[in-house]
Amino acid sequence: MPDLLLIAVIAGILAIDDRAGWQSLLGEPVFSSLIVGWVAGAMAPALQVGVVLQLAWLSIGAARGTRRPHTLLGGIVGAASTALVLAHDSDARTTVVVAAGVLAGLVAAELGAVALRATGTLRERWLGTFTLPSNTHDASRKLSMTVIGAALLVGIVDFVLVLLMIPLGERMVRLFEARLGVGGGAGAAWWLVAVSAIGVAAVVRAFGTRVLVRFLAAGAAAVLLVGWLR
Amino acid sequence: MSARLAPSDLRRVLARLLFVQATLNRRGMQNIGVLHALDAAAAKLSREPLALLSRHNDHFNTNPNAVPIVVGSVLRIEEDGLATAPVPIARFKQAACSALAATGDVLMVGGLKPLALTLAVVSAIYSFSTGLVAIVVLYNAALLAGRAWGLRFGYARGWGIVDAFTGPRVQRVVMLARILAAFAGGAMVAVMARRTFAASWADVALLAAATLAAGIAIKRGLNVARIAIVLFPLVVLVAMLVK
Repeated sequence: MPDLLLIAVIAGILAIDDRAGWQSLLGEPVFSSLIVGWVAGAMAPALQVGVVLQLAWLSIGAARGTRRPHTLLGGIVGAASTALVLAHDSDARTTVVVAAGVLAGLVAAELGAVALRATGTLRERWLGTFTLPSNTHDASRKLSMTVIGAALLVGIVDFVLVLLMIPLGERMVRLFEARLGVGGGAGAAWWLVAVSAIGVAAVVRAFGTRVLVRFLAAGAAAVLLVGWLR
Repeated sequence: MSARLAPSDLRRVLARLLFVQATLNRRGMQNIGVLHALDAAAAKLSREPLALLSRHNDHFNTNPNAVPIVVGSVLRIEEDGLATAPVPIARFKQAACSALAATGDVLMVGGLKPLALTLAVVSAIYSFSTGLVAIVVLYNAALLAGRAWGLRFGYARGWGIVDAFTGPRVQRVVMLARILAAFAGGAMVAVMARRTFAASWADVALLAAATLAAGIAIKRGLNVARIAIVLFPLVVLVAMLVK
């Protein structure tokens, strides 16, 4: 429970940074999973979840006609579900737990996007009707209070969402770990490879242009050359 | 009439600009955040700070990293007075925001962010936590330094910022960021391919097929992350049947 509360507080702070602050990148799954894994006591598997989720969401921009998933929420829920299960059950199969954690993260991100839509409507009603008071002192105070209030709202919404979703994610991970047999475990490993491929496709698509493709190829060749020389 | 702004005033404006996205809304976009930042210096720029704020209480939308440049130039223009203004300040802000939004988006979303994230993924694949910390520190140092420089630059140039950001020099910087991001992206793809190759040939074939399928899905504008959720039970079922 203290771990869960601490992770929810971290999620709130990261949400303020990501959607109200200067977007330091700490809210991206690859970084947030490192923090969450460290707090929960299972950094390596949490980081594995973070990497796969980052690759899944690396495609730049939202898909046509869909809302962008709430990646911050997904990253934290996925990494926390995995780390909390593995921190308390050392016999659990890491690959299955990581795959279930990634799935929990993907689902949480989609649900989070729906929740944000609802709170976003309320926020719009509040901020969309902003007017400046007719007195300088009141105007300064109202501006400061509006900015602080809006930032806090972002943090509180994500704090609550994480608090609600981590227990569900954890339960889902435990369920998969218990129910998936040997074949299921192999399927989970295949699925992780397939999800990671989204990141590869996104990079190739983003930089596979006439001008940039040679630099993409140079980067790949450099890594292969260094690997071959070693 | 008005005193020049001290560095401490600019620092206060910059601190408030870090939270310009907090009050993002559909009607005025970043207007409340920008007013909040201008409020930190309004009393020093004008005898009627409220009138100054009211002049800028309109639609404002650009890349968040470019906001300090526009706000810096607005501070300079207000300091010099609007009597000799070549164009209405609202039109100037609109032009500056549009020009900087395009450049800022390509630089950040198409260059620096993918560069940092692909390098972070490579570090994480090798469980190199120090690398991850170094990336986040460097990225934020660059981001904050860039915003501080932008505010000072805008304050120094005033009306001249649009010319400065539509020249070939800026385009070269943007291109360099894109090139570095492409190089890092290529490195990431090779690292993943090598690790999959070390596991098994079947995994290499799976990675190649999944990349092709994901590429087609992204090209068609489909939500690949949602497809991945649906695929989970399917892949597990197939594996259980095979094994």
